[in-house]
Amino acid sequence: MKRWIWRAASAVVSGLMLFSAAACGNNQQAANKAASSAPAVESQEATVEPTASSEPAATSEAAESAAPEPTGVIAELPRNETLYFGGQQWDSVKGWNPYSSNNNNALAVAGNASARLVMFETLYMYNLLDGSLNPLLASGQPEWNAERTELTVKMNPDAKWNDGTPVTAEDVAYTYASHLKYETAAGVSFGDFIDTIEAPDASTVVLKAKLIDGNAVNSYQLEDYICRQYVIQKAWTETLEARASSPDAFKDDPAEDVVSCGPYKKYYADDQKVVFIRDDNYWGVALWGSLPAPKYLAHAMYVDNAAQKVAFTNGDIDVNQQFISDIQNLWLQDGLPISAYMDEPPYGICVTMPSAWYNLKSPGLDQVVIRKAIAIAVDYDAINQNAMTGQSPTFAQTPRSLMNPTEGEQSMYDHDAVADLQWVGNDIDGANKLLDDAGIVDTDGDGIREFNGQNLEYNACCPEGWSDWQAAMEIVAAAGQKIGINIETNFPTWEIYQTVFTDGDQTEYDIFMYAGDGTGPTYPWRRVRERLSSEFIGQKNNWVGNFGGYSNARADEIIGAIPLETDPDTLKALYTEAVKIYLEEVPSFALMYRPELFHAVNESVWTGFPEAGDGDNIPPTDCTDGYGIAALYNLKLVS
Amino acid sequence: MKNTLRQIAHSPKFMIGFCMILLMVLSVFIYPLIVPGNPLEMIGLGTFFRPGTYVSVYDSVSTDKRYVIKLSDAAEKRLASKLAPEDREVMKTWLLAFGLPEESIDLENTEELLQLWRNTYDPELRFDNMTTAVRKHVQRTDAKLDSLLTDTDIIIASETDGTLTQSGAVGANDYVNVSEIANVRVLPLGTDNFGRDVLKEMISALGTSLLIGLIAGTIATVFGLALGLLAGYVGGIVDDIIMFVTNLFTVIPSFVLLILISFSISQTQRGTVTVAVVIGLTSWVWTTRSVRAQVVSLRNRDHVNLSKLSGHSLPRILVADILPYIASYVIMAFILQISSGILAEAQLSMLGLGPRTTTTPTLGLMMYWAMLYTAHINGAWWAYFPIVVLIACVSFSLNLMNTGLDQVFNPQLRG
Repeated sequence: MKRWIWRAASAVVSGLMLFSAAACGNNQQAANKAASSAPAVESQEATVEPTASSEPAATSEAAESAAPEPTGVIAELPRNETLYFGGQQWDSVKGWNPYSSNNNNALAVAGNASARLVMFETLYMYNLLDGSLNPLLASGQPEWNAERTELTVKMNPDAKWNDGTPVTAEDVAYTYASHLKYETAAGVSFGDFIDTIEAPDASTVVLKAKLIDGNAVNSYQLEDYICRQYVIQKAWTETLEARASSPDAFKDDPAEDVVSCGPYKKYYADDQKVVFIRDDNYWGVALWGSLPAPKYLAHAMYVDNAAQKVAFTNGDIDVNQQFISDIQNLWLQDGLPISAYMDEPPYGICVTMPSAWYNLKSPGLDQVVIRKAIAIAVDYDAINQNAMTGQSPTFAQTPRSLMNPTEGEQSMYDHDAVADLQWVGNDIDGANKLLDDAGIVDTDGDGIREFNGQNLEYNACCPEGWSDWQAAMEIVAAAGQKIGINIETNFPTWEIYQTVFTDGDQTEYDIFMYAGDGTGPTYPWRRVRERLSSEFIGQKNNWVGNFGGYSNARADEIIGAIPLETDPDTLKALYTEAVKIYLEEVPSFALMYRPELFHAVNESVWTGFPEAGDGDNIPPTDCTDGYGIAALYNLKLVS
Repeated sequence: MKNTLRQIAHSPKFMIGFCMILLMVLSVFIYPLIVPGNPLEMIGLGTFFRPGTYVSVYDSVSTDKRYVIKLSDAAEKRLASKLAPEDREVMKTWLLAFGLPEESIDLENTEELLQLWRNTYDPELRFDNMTTAVRKHVQRTDAKLDSLLTDTDIIIASETDGTLTQSGAVGANDYVNVSEIANVRVLPLGTDNFGRDVLKEMISALGTSLLIGLIAGTIATVFGLALGLLAGYVGGIVDDIIMFVTNLFTVIPSFVLLILISFSISQTQRGTVTVAVVIGLTSWVWTTRSVRAQVVSLRNRDHVNLSKLSGHSLPRILVADILPYIASYVIMAFILQISSGILAEAQLSMLGLGPRTTTTPTLGLMMYWAMLYTAHINGAWWAYFPIVVLIACVSFSLNLMNTGLDQVFNPQLRG
């Protein structure tokens, strides 16, 4: 009874809040957009065993025969044949062009190391759980030559485009050539590392690295390419080239006629919903042993996170990519058929490290002692419990370093060697002492310390509507107040935020948040580069890292040396040294660990989703990314 | 004057409103004396602790004063709190899936049920027709069962160098007296998403909101009054210009203007006072129009003309001869301006455009964070509902005062 009263009260107040909720919606959408576009996972070989219970549900077969021809769009999707997603797609789809980075088509095109494999496919599927590369359009494991400058991949002879023609090595080669020719985002980012991709015969692909002194500039990038970049049909690319008058037209084409090879094709999309329909002639039956269980994949568009959460708890969304504070209450208190990948905190696999970056151009922040004082004064337990509501390993469990909490990365540096450099957080006395000893004190009695005669006053920024980040910044600001550094939070909209913090010359934000990428074959090297490399200083439109302009010659040497090193011990020593620099100099500091994709499922209709310890080794990547797509073959209807 | 005050004092509406406001103002000053400390201190690790009394477990366990109370229903209550009907249902679901006949499962007989459970349950077993959510619920329930139906003491041990030494034991019938526990914290309205004491924060925020209302109301009233007096009394081109500007502002919704101005002020500079000033500067319009209308009707009164003939200056005529006649109206307008200033701050803050202060709580900011952490969907009513009620109370009491005054001053309403 009591509960009902409060439910009713909540409804009334929700109404009152609607106005402002609508106003915040856009930001949250942007937040989610960014979250979903963040890349992630790595891949390796694949013992793609067709998982046990992968036959489509009987009911769906029955319904299938009664369903209209695929050409006609049915008004109401049969619920027991449709898997609904949440938290990936905001606003209507702009296009289907895998060469474009402006499709706003989250379920179809997403360029992560764990690529989204619903519609398009990559050579390998990355599995973030073990870092394995599982062959998809490829067959067997990729092979390096002795010098690690050429990577050879054999094509899967079964692979077919959905027009029935085979997927060949020539398609792979032509895809990369087109990326380079038209300077797509992929072309630009891989152009520095991969010289060419060649097809000596129809079933063999050779990726040739760019060389420096006879060595590959960065061999990790080649492994990254084969699990990140979709293979696009050569014939269709030529059609696109024929109608595109300029490189921009090539990239801006909405590509309604695109030929793909994934298990799903586009069905329809409008401003309410985007729907994919299973390709019942999908070549992958040979690989997986069956078709994926749901006939339709659908994603409705919600006005904001709150609306989406309600839809999820009501069972209108099956798989949800959304940060839900205190998610455990959904099953512990509300008794809903909802579960996350793990039953206990942190509930998911955390692979990214949202960090506070210092702008070294801000007065005082070029001083290590001030950077460190703020970092050790921050209450990380409060961030973990209050901002992330426990959905992150603590720094006591996973000490801070340049590695994410996965076992593979953790084993790459010497924990003991840097143990003395760790800090526990909320160490107000320690921070005060550090500043006092350095002579940075409050001389004019206003409660704020001065450096070079100037009060230490900073803003702490992150995008509006990213609730856990905002709360983290509030906690950083509170820490500043306690040690005589005036930190005020500032939450601009994502649209503004992203233009400022990516500008290497900006002086607007002093302390600001960004997560960077998560996992992939290039990690943790890539994270070392993101945190420490001086190559990004002063860069405009820098989305990779070192946003604050930190520079350290030794760190640059290490970043250059790691990709060329093959001896595990030396590699470990190099990584350890990088971690040491990171902890000593604090150019940025991690505030929490976070999953790349939030993965929560509602088992009102479907069951059989991946969960920790189920032995399937399927990563919790929303049943769509990298090897996580395998989950679609395991789904069953709830009886 | 004395008579007017007496009349006001006899207006029940005014007095009720006044007492409510007084009570709120007093609580702003007195409550921090009762519960001292920083209202923004994050005391709770975790979000949205429910309202209630929090007793230190550590102190309870280690206290010397322990009482033995034997209550016949203690075991039953303990069982009920650990093994809810849903848990029993879920156990039944598992047992049925395991293949036991339904009639062999008696959910009411706890002892039998537990016996059956212990003999049957195997955490390794997985059933095809059982969802993960149910299976995990079963696992959680099973974990809870261990301590059930046992009345053995719970051993307290301390650890030194890896060896445990027993330092005490807690029996099932041991009680402590809460008043003897060193650390007990009452959180009448629980905590918010940052783990802050909501009541303490709210009362502190009320102070801020009243201050914002006062500043905004004063600015709007002074501004509106000055322009209204000038326009109404001077007339001519001055009137035209002032009314032109006023009409211009009238057709632009002031809240939209408020949003635009707030948005354009950089967030770091948007302190409490700045926001109050911005609110004041966008809400003077209707005061100007009404004051002007009243002044126009007073302008040609005999005493004003006499004053004019006597060569009195413009300011003196306005202040001494006109203002007293509209003072009652101005005071009522002022009260309403305070009320709308408080509401405007709350609305702005909920849009994320309010004062951005890490040191001062405001009612709007509390609502903002409650909404960001979806308190309204989570059922964490204490994080937003008391604030809604408080804002309503402030607004209501100020309006009540206004209505009371209206009855005293407005000849048409005077009964």
